[in-house]
Amino acid sequence: MIDREKPMVEVRKVHKSFGDLEVLRGIDMQVKKGEVLVIVGPSGSGKSTLLRCINLLIQPDSGDIFLEGVKVNDPDIRPEWVRQQIGMVFQSFNLFTHLTAIKNVMLGLTKVKRLDGLEAEKIARYELERVGLADKADAYPAQLSGGQQQRVAIARALALNPKVMLFDEPTSALDPEFIHEVLDVMTKLANEGMTMVVVSHEMGFAKSVADELIFMDNGVIVEVGVPEEVFASPKTDRMRAFIGKILG
Amino acid sequence: MRDPGRDSGWRRVWDEPLFKTGVGIVGLLAVVGLLLTALNDIGEISFDFMASHWSFLLRYALTSLEATVISFAVGFGLAIPMGLVRAFGPGMIRRGGLARGVASPLYAIVTGYAEVIRGTPALVQIFLIQFWVTSTFQGVPGISLWAGIAALSVNTTGYQTEVFRAGFQSVGQGQIEAAKSIGMRPTQTFASITFPQGLRLITLPLANEWIALFKASSLLWLIAVQELLWGMDYIGTKLNHPIDAFILGSFFYLAILIPLSRAVTFLERVKRIPGLGVAEPQRRALFAARFARLDRV
Repeated sequence: MIDREKPMVEVRKVHKSFGDLEVLRGIDMQVKKGEVLVIVGPSGSGKSTLLRCINLLIQPDSGDIFLEGVKVNDPDIRPEWVRQQIGMVFQSFNLFTHLTAIKNVMLGLTKVKRLDGLEAEKIARYELERVGLADKADAYPAQLSGGQQQRVAIARALALNPKVMLFDEPTSALDPEFIHEVLDVMTKLANEGMTMVVVSHEMGFAKSVADELIFMDNGVIVEVGVPEEVFASPKTDRMRAFIGKILG
Repeated sequence: MRDPGRDSGWRRVWDEPLFKTGVGIVGLLAVVGLLLTALNDIGEISFDFMASHWSFLLRYALTSLEATVISFAVGFGLAIPMGLVRAFGPGMIRRGGLARGVASPLYAIVTGYAEVIRGTPALVQIFLIQFWVTSTFQGVPGISLWAGIAALSVNTTGYQTEVFRAGFQSVGQGQIEAAKSIGMRPTQTFASITFPQGLRLITLPLANEWIALFKASSLLWLIAVQELLWGMDYIGTKLNHPIDAFILGSFFYLAILIPLSRAVTFLERVKRIPGLGVAEPQRRALFAARFARLDRV
């Protein structure tokens, strides 16, 4: 029986420094299966580093990361095994520039999951359809708009059937007219029950979709709560100041 | 928007880069041809001599080509791993641990190699290697050609290493991070992302290196390899037709290099990925640079 209360991702006392700069100073957090967690905070607060620690793109200096109860920052565990179970979407899309949309989605299936080409293509077409881009399968990334590129990037991550999806400011690099199409896809995903950790300052998305909101500043978690409440009545001065800034 | 006049058939043919170059080369040949005809008429040069000796030079041209193709291939094969060490060695060293123990000495050796090869005259390298090879394999027939091929290989490896380093380094960090994020191993990331993207970025410099190497193969004349320059000199002095021999020989160099450089431009266009690599105006500048003199001597 699946323990609904067991966290999908758990981060315990994680520290990370780059040189003299301590970017993460003891982070504790968790996401349960099917939950959407939104992380906000000023730039340089360690949000992206935290996200990259979860899928081990960055190795934490100390502390533990658990995926479904398994400690993954362990020398005996291959980081590749962890990463193929965790989808990631980047601020700058990072689609493989020399591959068409569908080949971008297929690459992980053929190389990492070792599916044959036909099966990989079937899955890739399905995933592109899910993000509304079935007709752009043969376009190269440079021929797509930012919003379309980001949706392909989401399809690429989804193709590997991840347990969690990490989003690192997925709409920050987009022109305003393309933001909604990416948020729509993300909302759909959340409604389908995907576990998500989203670094984003999209307040509307956080309020309507997120189960929990974390406010980070200076490498620590300052405030945690239900998004509506945190926005309406922030408990700390730092959070209040930050909300003031992003609401302009 | 486009000028409607530009859409006429002829205009489009003219806009083809291949067509323009073709016209340029044909025009140039016509002018040179006229000049040569005039020289022929006044007896300075002799078409008859050229016509009766081109087949003699052909086999020596093929030796030059053989030396270039083999050493370029050897250099290509060696430069990929060496370029990798040059590009990613410092990062591995910074990471420390076991990676550092392996990467540090490798990086030092490869960097030293590239610097020494690029910092000394090719001719000196050819002489050194020739002395060593011929004294080690005394009396082996055709050994001077193999000494020459070895020397050119050593030389081009140094240059190609730097070309590959630049190519690998130009592949964006985001691309590599994305490959990692879908669970690809470092070797898979290299084979599927870094190498194919890097190779597209360095097609031009690699073609440049091929051209420079083919011309540098004429240096092998100085270690008595019977290649194209040797053949030119041989018939020129033996038969007392030096100018005819050198003009004829030059046509062999051109006949091999011009189609090749056209083929590379064509390949680049066919393999070009929208949004990847160099934009069209910059490509034109690079195209011009390709015909700039590349001094290897």
